[in-house]
Amino acid sequence: MNLDRLRANIRVVGYAFVMTLKQNVIDGFIIFTILIQPLIIALLALWMMDDQAASHAIFIVVGSGLTGLWSSLLFISGNSINVERWIGTLEFMVAMPTSITTIIFGKNLAHVSQSLISMLLSYFLASIIFDLPLTIARPGLFLLSLLLTIVAFVSFGLIIAPIFVMNPGVQGWQNAMEFPVYILSGFLFPIALLPGWTTPVSYVLAPYWAAKALHGASSGESSPDSILIDLGILIMFSTVYILISRRLFKAMLHKTRVDATLGLQ
Amino acid sequence: MTGYAIEVEHLKRTYKTTVGVLRRKVKNVEAVRDVSFAIQTGELFGLVGPNGAGKTTTVKMLTTLLIPTAGTARVLGYDVVQEASSIQARIGFIFGGDRGLYWRLSGIDNLRYFASLYHVDPDVSRKRIDYLLELVGLTGRGEERVEGYSRGMRQRLHIARSLLHNPEVLFLDEPTIGLDPVGARELRLVIRNLQAEEKTILLTTHYMFEADELCQRVGVINHGEITALDTPQGLKKTVRDLSVIEINVFGIDNEHLDALRDRADVDTVSLREHGQKQTLLIHSPHGSEALPGVMETLSGLHLGGVTVREPTLEDAYVRLVGGEA
Repeated sequence: MNLDRLRANIRVVGYAFVMTLKQNVIDGFIIFTILIQPLIIALLALWMMDDQAASHAIFIVVGSGLTGLWSSLLFISGNSINVERWIGTLEFMVAMPTSITTIIFGKNLAHVSQSLISMLLSYFLASIIFDLPLTIARPGLFLLSLLLTIVAFVSFGLIIAPIFVMNPGVQGWQNAMEFPVYILSGFLFPIALLPGWTTPVSYVLAPYWAAKALHGASSGESSPDSILIDLGILIMFSTVYILISRRLFKAMLHKTRVDATLGLQ
Repeated sequence: MTGYAIEVEHLKRTYKTTVGVLRRKVKNVEAVRDVSFAIQTGELFGLVGPNGAGKTTTVKMLTTLLIPTAGTARVLGYDVVQEASSIQARIGFIFGGDRGLYWRLSGIDNLRYFASLYHVDPDVSRKRIDYLLELVGLTGRGEERVEGYSRGMRQRLHIARSLLHNPEVLFLDEPTIGLDPVGARELRLVIRNLQAEEKTILLTTHYMFEADELCQRVGVINHGEITALDTPQGLKKTVRDLSVIEINVFGIDNEHLDALRDRADVDTVSLREHGQKQTLLIHSPHGSEALPGVMETLSGLHLGGVTVREPTLEDAYVRLVGGEA
């Protein structure tokens, strides 16, 4: 890829990011997914923990934020191609010099980044309303973990979006995929509390490694080396997702051109 | 270079649809059976035909959105299947209707975003967007959200979008569909201006006066095949031997229509609906001499005005598509 093309693609990601945020500001469903639902989860968790809430406050804040990230990924990023088809822009997008993967990457980056607001809101809820002590033990590693979590989630979004386009039946399982991932990834409580046979399932989920790194860095319970290993695994997952997504996008574009399903008739 | 911007040879496209719920059967629908034509560089070519004739399917294959089942098509010398990416940066296209825009964004935001997807440099795109907004008559309205635009404004914004990267070839698929007469006239003016810029344009429409007014050559497509291809004047000559009897009627039924079609002195019969009123268009080689017999066939119906006139391009089209227009 030459430098001009790289610059043009970065510009596309930037425009897609900004335009997506502009559109999402007034979207009721998105407001619920990234603001209301994670807040409800954080509230429930803080009340349920009762006298132990103080010692687990940061865990709850990070965990509820992760629920917002995952829901946003599943419902908003997952539908990112289908939405373009529904509004009639997909046909224009695929017949342009920019690769559709680049455009969807920019859009998913906006969806996932905006859902970080849920983590911020949970932070304010716990510290101001519940007056709980909140400190991030390893801020540098926490920020790095957050950044790599966003990349991993955006990359995962690049896999599920074309799958949802090619297999509308799979999209029907969206709702069923929401809570099991919260639980199996240890967003709100450690997976050690789950039956042993579920552990291998957690290990193959990128959100588990993201949650492990974020919880470890925020609470200080994991050593820096252990967090770096988690992040290494997260990078590996992101790379694999991006490689798979390139093939999936190619297959999706071919299939939609053969089946005439790029646009709604 | 052949001098042709678009070359289509024996293009065919079949859709697979399924019927039934429990016993599902795959059914093949031939949207385009055998289409061949060539458009010269800088030409404004019209493709006309009734709904479902294969116009949009043809355009979608030429714009690389659909893979043909058989045949070949080349745009600017590139094959639409094998060399799609070489075509995409050099063509623009719009489809009828006002979908395909981000309604929550302003017109300018839409254009900026699409310009970035076409890899237009930001400095160039700023000037180009100002120019295009002026070209399509949206100067001063670009900052408004698209959701507040009229249908005609959205169509004009689509034209601006399709021109952001200054394409050499433009595909306009029924651009005036659903527009009010004033909006449609303004859009035709924009198309004429584009022709003046020497762009190659493929326009599909089922409004014959539009094709007559704008196009240098017209291809008539019906049931997925080109049934005639000539200049508007050439096509009109095919009906020079006919006269057209226009009769306003109220509530005509199929029995009367079939009886008219069975008459030996009638060539084709078509019907236009205008709310309560309908207009019968009867082509006859006998002109006003056929009128008494036609009136007799229509006896018992509530009739309005009757006119006998010379044929137009629309009449040529009606004859070519067998009264299906």
